[in-house]
Amino acid sequence: MKDFRIEQESRGNIQLIRLQGSLDMYSFPRLESHLQTLFQQGRYAIMLDCSQLDYVGSAGLGVLIGFAKQAREHDGDLKLLRVPERIYKIIELLGFTKVLQVYNTEDTALASFQKP
Amino acid sequence: MVPDANIDVKKSTSRLFVRAPGHGSSLRPIRNVITDLARQVGFPEDEVAKIEMAVDEACTNVVEHAYEAKRNWAWKHQNPEIRLTIHTDADRLVIQIHDNGKRFDFASYRPVNLLERIRAMRSGGYGIAIMRKFMDEVEYKSDDVSGNTLRLVKHLKKS
Repeated sequence: MKDFRIEQESRGNIQLIRLQGSLDMYSFPRLESHLQTLFQQGRYAIMLDCSQLDYVGSAGLGVLIGFAKQAREHDGDLKLLRVPERIYKIIELLGFTKVLQVYNTEDTALASFQKP
Repeated sequence: MVPDANIDVKKSTSRLFVRAPGHGSSLRPIRNVITDLARQVGFPEDEVAKIEMAVDEACTNVVEHAYEAKRNWAWKHQNPEIRLTIHTDADRLVIQIHDNGKRFDFASYRPVNLLERIRAMRSGGYGIAIMRKFMDEVEYKSDDVSGNTLRLVKHLKKS
């Protein structure tokens, strides 16, 4: 089990955020604060690399869809990248993949931001 | 961020007892205990993940609502704790989650439509619906003597 960590890189106008550890009620305020800062800077195109996440609870999922909604209101989006199979099965079963876009590769996720 | 809480785990012949501070830092170690046990009992990994999330949602509610830090509830004069009692029968896992915080009005709770809530992109209010979706039984009881107890049951389906 890893401690929750957030790292950020830029891909042009798109922000790639790498998450590590567990996104639960304890850790989600850190992601919330990070995303709020980006939005205040007018950066609404976000990719979250989830490959190093070991758990996501509903508090974390709530943050993701809340920020995806805000991003779309500003012609951006928040998309998930490389979601581990164990987590993907859960979020698909609950229905979160109906509103959150999930990609397996960075290239396909990046390309999706270019589409009208 | 402070490190994960130290939780106390004791075993009797038939039960596992967990005591943890009523704080968010307890959630991950509690999940670890639950997933280890669910695997030992023989649940497949997909079911282990569901049990993990249901218990996490229950304990999150205790931390967030029963022991809500912003309010001056009577429990602040005690040590807020989450206590879990877990046992297995021949074909089921029974997890009881106990707290002495604010009582939840379970009787007045109106079930939410999970998918409608997700499609509306609501940022919260999923916990109980997830517990009900992932567990076979969800029961809540509360009294002034024993405090609040949420009982989650998952049946081990034999193929």
